[in-house]
Amino acid sequence: MISNFLGSLGRYFLKKLTALGRSSMMMASAVFARPDFRRHSVLLVNEIYFIGVQSVIIILVSGLFIGMVLGLQGFNILKDFMATGSLGTLVALAIIRELGPVVAALLYAGRAGSALTAEIGQLKASEQISAMEMMAVDPLHRIIAPRFWAGVISLPILSILFAVVGIYGGKFVGVDWLGLDDGIFWSAMQNSVDLAEDVVPMLIKSVVFAVVCTWIALFNGYDCRPTSAGISSATTATVVQSSLAVLGLDFVLTALMF
Amino acid sequence: MDSKQILAADSIVQIEDLSFSYSGKQIYSHLSVNFPRGKITAVLGPSGTGKTTVLRLIGAQLRPDSGTVKFDGADMHRLGRRELYRTRRKMSMLFQSGALFQDMTVFENTAFPLEVHTLLPKEIIRDIVLMKLEAVGMRGAASLYPSELSGGMARRAALARSIALDPELIMYDEPFVGQDPITKGVLVKLICDLNNALNLTSIVVTHDVREIMEVADYVVILAEGSVLGQGTPEEIRGSSDPRVVQFINGDFDGPYAFHLKGRGNYLEDL
Repeated sequence: MISNFLGSLGRYFLKKLTALGRSSMMMASAVFARPDFRRHSVLLVNEIYFIGVQSVIIILVSGLFIGMVLGLQGFNILKDFMATGSLGTLVALAIIRELGPVVAALLYAGRAGSALTAEIGQLKASEQISAMEMMAVDPLHRIIAPRFWAGVISLPILSILFAVVGIYGGKFVGVDWLGLDDGIFWSAMQNSVDLAEDVVPMLIKSVVFAVVCTWIALFNGYDCRPTSAGISSATTATVVQSSLAVLGLDFVLTALMF
Repeated sequence: MDSKQILAADSIVQIEDLSFSYSGKQIYSHLSVNFPRGKITAVLGPSGTGKTTVLRLIGAQLRPDSGTVKFDGADMHRLGRRELYRTRRKMSMLFQSGALFQDMTVFENTAFPLEVHTLLPKEIIRDIVLMKLEAVGMRGAASLYPSELSGGMARRAALARSIALDPELIMYDEPFVGQDPITKGVLVKLICDLNNALNLTSIVVTHDVREIMEVADYVVILAEGSVLGQGTPEEIRGSSDPRVVQFINGDFDGPYAFHLKGRGNYLEDL
C-alpha cells in the first residue's frame, strides 16, 4: 500500500515536472525567437488591446471599490486610536505595495488569462494551429509570442491604474464622505510613499505576475485536450494555478523586497 | 500504367520501417510505403487505422517511435525547427474541418500564407488570391467569413489557401466527409484538375472508395498497422485478398467482424 502511494506520488510529480519542462521549452521558443517587427507589431498591438485595454473597466471598478472599502475600514479603526490622519498612508501603502499588483494580477488571470486559454484551446480544437504549422507558420511566433509580450506590457499598466483609482476611492470615502481634511490625507500619503521603496517594487511584482500568469494561460491553452471538456478544464486550471502562483510569489517577493 | 511502373518512378514521400504508438497503443508497426511523385494516391482503410496519422507523420506534426519519413529526400524528423518549417512550405494539407481562420474572410485566409512567406506587394497578392479562388470556384465568396460558408464551400476555400504557395504536395484529410453528391463531385474534379494543372502530388485520405477510385493513380490500403494492399485502382479491384474485397465492396461482415469481441457470453450478459 505504501509502495502504491509512493508510486502514485512519483508519477504525479514526474507528470508535473514534464509539463513544466514542456511549458519552459514552449516559452523559450516563443520568447527568444528573432522578432519580426514588420509583421508582429500589428499582432502585438491587437493583443494589447484585447488583453490590456479590454481589462481596464474591470480594473478601474475593482480598484475604486477596494480603495473605498479600505478607506472606510481604515477610518473606523484609526478613529479608535485618534489616528485618522494616517489614513492616506494606510490606503496608499496598502494599495501600492500589495493590493494593486496582487488584485490586478488576480483580475487579469480571471479575465484575460482565462480568455487566452480558451482562445488558444479553441484554435487547437478547430485545427487552426495545425493548419498554421502545415503552412510553415510557427504558432509559437505567431500566436504565443505576441500574447506573452502583450501580457507583460499590459499588467504593470493595469496595476498602476488600479493603484491610482484605489487611492482616489480611499480619498473619496475618507475625505469627501467622512470629513477627513484633504491636506492631511494627501500630505500623509506623500510623506510615506517612496518611489524606490514602494512604487518600483510594485512594478517588479506586477511584471513577475504578468510573466507567470501569461505563461500559465498560454501553456494551458496550447497543451489542452482539443475538446470542449479539455478547453473547459484548461481554463479552470489557468485561473486556479495563476491565482495560487500570484499569492505564493507575492509572499516571496514581499519577503525579498520589503 | 501498372503499379510497377508507378513505383519505379520517383517517390516524393518515402516511409521506411516506421513504427508509431499513441497513448500506449501501437498504431503502426514497421510500415513501409512510398508515394509516387506527380500522382494522386488514395489512402484507404477502416476507421481508426491511423490514416490521418500518416499525414501528420509526413508533415512531422507527430514523431514516430522508429523509422524514417522522407519528403523530397529530407528526413522530416531529423530536421531542425527552422529547416522543418522551410520544408513545410513545399507541402500543404487540407484538413477535414477546413481549419479556416475564423476571424478572417475567405480572401484573407487565402492571402495569409502569401503575406507571411513572401514580400510581394499587396496588388500582386490580391491578383494571386483571386486566381486561386477562381480556380476553386470561390471568387464570389471572397468577402465571406468561414461562419457564412457551407461545409463544401469551406473546404474549397481551404483548398484555395492550400495551393496559395504552389506546393509540391497536397495532403487531403477526408475531403468528402459530410458532403452532398454534387459537392463530392466538385471536390473530386478539383483534386484531379489541380493535380494535373499544377503538376502536384496528391495524397487523399478517404473512406469514399467509389469517388476516389475514379481519379486515383495509386491506392494504398492501410489496416492493422501495416499496408494491407496497394496498387492501381484496377489491381485493387481485382485483388483476391478477402480483407481488401470486404473493404472495397463495403461488406458489413467478413474478415473484419461486425461484432467487436466482447468478454463472456452474450446470452449470459443478458
